[in-house]
Amino acid sequence: MNRVAQASACRGQLQFAVLLLLILAPRAYSQTFTQRGFLETDLIGYPQTAPNDSGQVIGEALFRYEAFYKLSPDWQFAGGIDARTDTHNQVDRDWQLSWDDRERRRPSFAVRQLSATYSHNKLTVELGKQFIRWGKADLLNPTSRFSPQDFLTVVDADFLAVTAARLTYGGQSNTIELVWSPLFTPSRVPLLGQRWSIVPAGVTLQEQAPSLPGGSQFGARWNHIGRAAEYSLSFYDGRNNLPLFNFQLQPQLPLTVDVQRFYPQMRMYGGDAAIPLKSITVKVEAAYFTSTTKTEDEYALFVAQVERQAGEWFFIGGYAGEAITAYRPGLQFAPDRGLTRAFLGHAGYTIDTNRSVALETAIRQNGRGVWVKLEYSQSFGQHWRATAGYTLIRGDTSDFLGEYRRNSHALLALRYSF
Amino acid sequence: MSKLLPFLCLLALPLPAQDARQIVEESQRRGRAASQHYEGVLEVFGAHNKVSKKSWQSDRLGSYGNSKAVIRFTAPAEVKGVALLVLNHPDRSSDQWMWTPAIGRDRRIAQQDRSTRFFGTDFSFEDLEERDVGQFDFRLLGDETIEGAPCWKIESKPRQSKSSQYTSSRVWIRKDNYVPVQYENFVKDALVRRLRQKEIEKIQGIYTPRLLEMTDLRRDSRTVLKLENVRYEVPMKEDDFTVQALRRQP
Repeated sequence: MNRVAQASACRGQLQFAVLLLLILAPRAYSQTFTQRGFLETDLIGYPQTAPNDSGQVIGEALFRYEAFYKLSPDWQFAGGIDARTDTHNQVDRDWQLSWDDRERRRPSFAVRQLSATYSHNKLTVELGKQFIRWGKADLLNPTSRFSPQDFLTVVDADFLAVTAARLTYGGQSNTIELVWSPLFTPSRVPLLGQRWSIVPAGVTLQEQAPSLPGGSQFGARWNHIGRAAEYSLSFYDGRNNLPLFNFQLQPQLPLTVDVQRFYPQMRMYGGDAAIPLKSITVKVEAAYFTSTTKTEDEYALFVAQVERQAGEWFFIGGYAGEAITAYRPGLQFAPDRGLTRAFLGHAGYTIDTNRSVALETAIRQNGRGVWVKLEYSQSFGQHWRATAGYTLIRGDTSDFLGEYRRNSHALLALRYSF
Repeated sequence: MSKLLPFLCLLALPLPAQDARQIVEESQRRGRAASQHYEGVLEVFGAHNKVSKKSWQSDRLGSYGNSKAVIRFTAPAEVKGVALLVLNHPDRSSDQWMWTPAIGRDRRIAQQDRSTRFFGTDFSFEDLEERDVGQFDFRLLGDETIEGAPCWKIESKPRQSKSSQYTSSRVWIRKDNYVPVQYENFVKDALVRRLRQKEIEKIQGIYTPRLLEMTDLRRDSRTVLKLENVRYEVPMKEDDFTVQALRRQP
């Protein structure tokens, strides 16, 4: 059976599984069944046009439903679906249910998660599509290798689940986590014809089918919770979920270049720690990456941050750095590296029980790129929340953040949660 | 929460000579259970009478100094699943972790952050702890009547001054059933929070307040917590009170 046929068969089984979940869920015993979800509509306005994207107002809608069923003290199941649409062709229009999140655009219907968990004493095994977050830092997580993201709009990236088997063993003080993922899930990168792809003037890019790797990914993490600190060591062997690009110049005018994504081999050695001190909590996280791919750098990423809550305020501030140990020529889309060599900050203030404001920022140490996001949020009753925000991006074209300087935008979001 | 009860379950015997520590120990002894479950409905009344409603489910294993507890929000919808794990210790302040399912992260609540409000309520993280009597010094201040019930009035001060946001607390314990009915918490000489415990009902042999009203006097706001479906001696597993277990719950 070829890959397309396999995918189709797999998709059919998944559709059945999800439908079964949705049908059975409400009949489940009330104390062991929980559900939640929301419907959110967003209106995004860009004050400036971009050379490859004249759209300035975008509407989006997302419906998310998640259900959890505890069959017995040892077994529980989790399932979730996303249904979405938009006005800017960032969402597929083919109405297919997606499992693997490998589509170029966001799928109109996607299995957000679907997993079975067995837990007994100190052992937990989770099988299926699930979210796996590693690391302790809040601003950047270089050790979190099983958490691809949707970077269609680069600075507002949502996490994607991965298909994996995860075994966790341990009690409160020490845990060992082993993850094996047989199906690679890439991060979703900006669409070539849209403003979050920066294309050189006078060049037409033609996107070719990506080279998605076979094989599996493996990771292990040991976590210790002590009285004075928490710390972890982690290891990953697999592929980078952020792509490198192959280019091929076509002998035609106007200048046309074929572009193909591929995903370099990656091995990661990492660690993280959280240390509560007298007046602040210090968190550090670092990872060193090696690769057998000839065009992938070898490098280290690290982040150090402090955080503090005081009254209705919380503050997180820190620095993210990068050290390249082996430079290899290759064009990469790498928001994780793009947010390094930068000062990062996050602050929030709770005005009252219903209202809050938050500020996030990244400022490159050389001053060539700045990203600032300010949001005001207010809830109405038990179900409604409105959010208004503005994201400011400034900088040089040579900088990862600065190249998006025409993409400052305002957001108005309305969410109904249930 | 009924967890607060133990913390300030300070009391004395109906004998004038009884000392404050004995009263508190007796109060804690009478409230002791291997486990406790309840469903809490909260109403938060802001300074301008803005009201927000929340609800949570609480499970506690053990009592006082060595207990473990998980509080998990069930409403409103946008915070459903947010949970707090509290591991109490006999000789020091608790360890706490908060799990936020929307971002898939757990976060340890540092000691210096315990004075902040717990998820928009008037309870601070520290108020959700249960502490052993051994962590406090007690002094009997006298007798007072609260809502017609004669009470002992007892002052408590943490032995390790930096382990609590409160410089001192006062508790009123009813003489007839050893139930604490009011706490006042001070920072230096200023009264900052007051907790009143009402609608006392005997459940499975344990006198249990069914309504708790916490007032934050600095913010001029209050939270009313109603305890429903209170059960003691519910079978619970030790392994369900770990950070790992916190993550695997929805």
